Amino acid sequence: MIDPSELSRRRFMQLGLNVGAAAGASMLLPGLVRPARAALPGISEEEAVIAFGHVGPITDEGWTWSHHQGLEAVKAAYPKAKYLEVESIPYSADATRTFRQFVSEGANILFSTSNYGDFFYDVANRAPDTAFLECDGRTLGDNLGWYYVAHWWPTFVVGVAAGALSKTGKLGYVASFPVPSVYSSTNAFLMGARTVNPNATLQAITINSWFDPQAATQAGTALIDNGCDFLFGIMDEAGYLQVAEQRGVWAAMWNTDIRRYGPNAYVSSIIVDFKQYYVEQVKARLEGKWAPAGTILKMGAGVDRDAWGAKVPADVAAKADAVRKDILDGKFNPFTGPIKDSTGAVRVKDGEAVDDAWLYNWDWSIEGVTGVGS
Amino acid sequence: MDLITGILSTAFLAGGVLALAALGEVLAERVGVVNLGVEGLMALGAITGIATVVAYPSPTLGFLAALGVGFLFGCLFALATVTWRANQILCGLALTLIGTGLAATVGKAYSGTPSPAVFGRVEIPLLVDIPVIGRAFFAQNVLVYLIFIILPVGLHLLMFRTRHGLNLRAVGENPAAADAAGIAVQRIRFWYVAAGAALAAGAGAYLTLAFVPSWSEGVVAGRGWIAVALVIFAGYRPLNAVLAALLFGVITALGFVGQARNWPIAPAFLSMLPYLGTIGFIIVPVIAWHRMRQWMAAPAALGEPYFRDVR
Repeated sequence: MIDPSELSRRRFMQLGLNVGAAAGASMLLPGLVRPARAALPGISEEEAVIAFGHVGPITDEGWTWSHHQGLEAVKAAYPKAKYLEVESIPYSADATRTFRQFVSEGANILFSTSNYGDFFYDVANRAPDTAFLECDGRTLGDNLGWYYVAHWWPTFVVGVAAGALSKTGKLGYVASFPVPSVYSSTNAFLMGARTVNPNATLQAITINSWFDPQAATQAGTALIDNGCDFLFGIMDEAGYLQVAEQRGVWAAMWNTDIRRYGPNAYVSSIIVDFKQYYVEQVKARLEGKWAPAGTILKMGAGVDRDAWGAKVPADVAAKADAVRKDILDGKFNPFTGPIKDSTGAVRVKDGEAVDDAWLYNWDWSIEGVTGVGS
Repeated sequence: MDLITGILSTAFLAGGVLALAALGEVLAERVGVVNLGVEGLMALGAITGIATVVAYPSPTLGFLAALGVGFLFGCLFALATVTWRANQILCGLALTLIGTGLAATVGKAYSGTPSPAVFGRVEIPLLVDIPVIGRAFFAQNVLVYLIFIILPVGLHLLMFRTRHGLNLRAVGENPAAADAAGIAVQRIRFWYVAAGAALAAGAGAYLTLAFVPSWSEGVVAGRGWIAVALVIFAGYRPLNAVLAALLFGVITALGFVGQARNWPIAPAFLSMLPYLGTIGFIIVPVIAWHRMRQWMAAPAALGEPYFRDVR
């Protein structure tokens, strides 16, 4: 131990140098601090243990249900493997406990369907032989990767339809947390709507949950009372769709086709499909070819708009689909400057086009969006 | 719909849950039994309601089934606290744990699925055209009318205008004296506690069949505890309880309207409002009702099991 009373100036400087050198080395040469690892060794199907940690209940007919379909697809491809699945994991130390449990049961590959951050990384750091994949994550490690969907493209397409369908030009949005997924969703939606109605605005209500039917229902009601005639959001369930149906306004949803809960209100949905991705990842892990990577699934390969609702006029659907086709053909990037933030400052310069990696980390509201963050 | 009508409309809808649960708690506490199991009973009612309509799409049947389940668990609770004279606080907490746990287990299969049948709006002709209030109150579902008019008025008349009501209040105030006057103390306590529990479970069914309307674990979200606080705030009176619940509904509605209208208040603070309101509900009786204790006081024998031999 170092006794501070005997610490000479010279010794102190030396200490500082040592600390500085160590910090510098770890920044510049991570490979020296922690040995780089080759791909994890393969494993036979019979011995494989595949674990899924879900953020919500698999009966939600939304986000978690979609991920569960992914698990079912993997199961169909590798029926002899052992599968572990836990639902409704809270964002707390309970998550760490759950993931650690997976590891102690011998999980070879572990998917978490939401971003549990340090609760997840703590476990990943201590289980170097398990492959960890975090949905909506942003950190790469020796055995840690992430994946997400480029939902902003289909969201822009649905936004075009919203701009055409909304009479008041006031779009309502049920938001979860002020996080990049929500910023990119609200912003892309309003940008789409503004291609049709340049005066459209978007009002969001933040309910601090991805799955809280009663808060989403009340938020939807308050938005409609306030003049919004098109509801969108980023919820794992159908709450505000039912409100929209009752009140006779439009609604677009997320995750799955749930039009039967509001057949007249339903416009479309940001459909997610992780089946192919999950099967690929498990295949790579079993064959010993898995290496950590960050993957954003593109429109048409993991995320897309749903078939249009029954009451959506054909010309509106055609207009939005034309935009979708241009995006798919690579002819059109709607996320091209100038893009102004909510204070009016230009954040993306005129003519500058931003890519998926940039959009994935969008953390400010564009002009016209209110209610996300503050 | 204008601002005030919107807020009131949501307030009636949101307040209805609390009003019904609070009415149930008024029944139990008026006969001298504290039931802290409201939260668990509501969870049981909520899952019973949705499980019933999934099997058979009739919201009325779902609501009645919830009342039945609540009554059953109320009988269990009354058996423990009234017949066997166990500690009411501990039994109440146990009931909450059993109820929320059981509901979560049974509810796994229903989580997040919207209710296939819900109580629809019933507009009352003529009255619905009253400005401001008309659309807010007279265009709601049947349960709202039941909770805000029929039940509180009926219970008020029963408690304060009939001989039987005098008896039941006497049981809560001074069971020994009531016993001496020939009132069946245990029998009255037992059935009113069970009936109160039925209403609490009904409040849970109101959540899944009219208000939310879907089941998710934690759908009750502490409303059972808020209902217990409301009863104290309301001075153990049915009409007051309903008005207090309405006030609470307004507070809840303000949280969302505030965000929708972009009030310059942090969303986190607006989401906090219901809970801040509950703290207020606990503080006000201590300070303000002190002078009105003649009308707002708790039943004198509240929480005390009655033993005839120590009379």
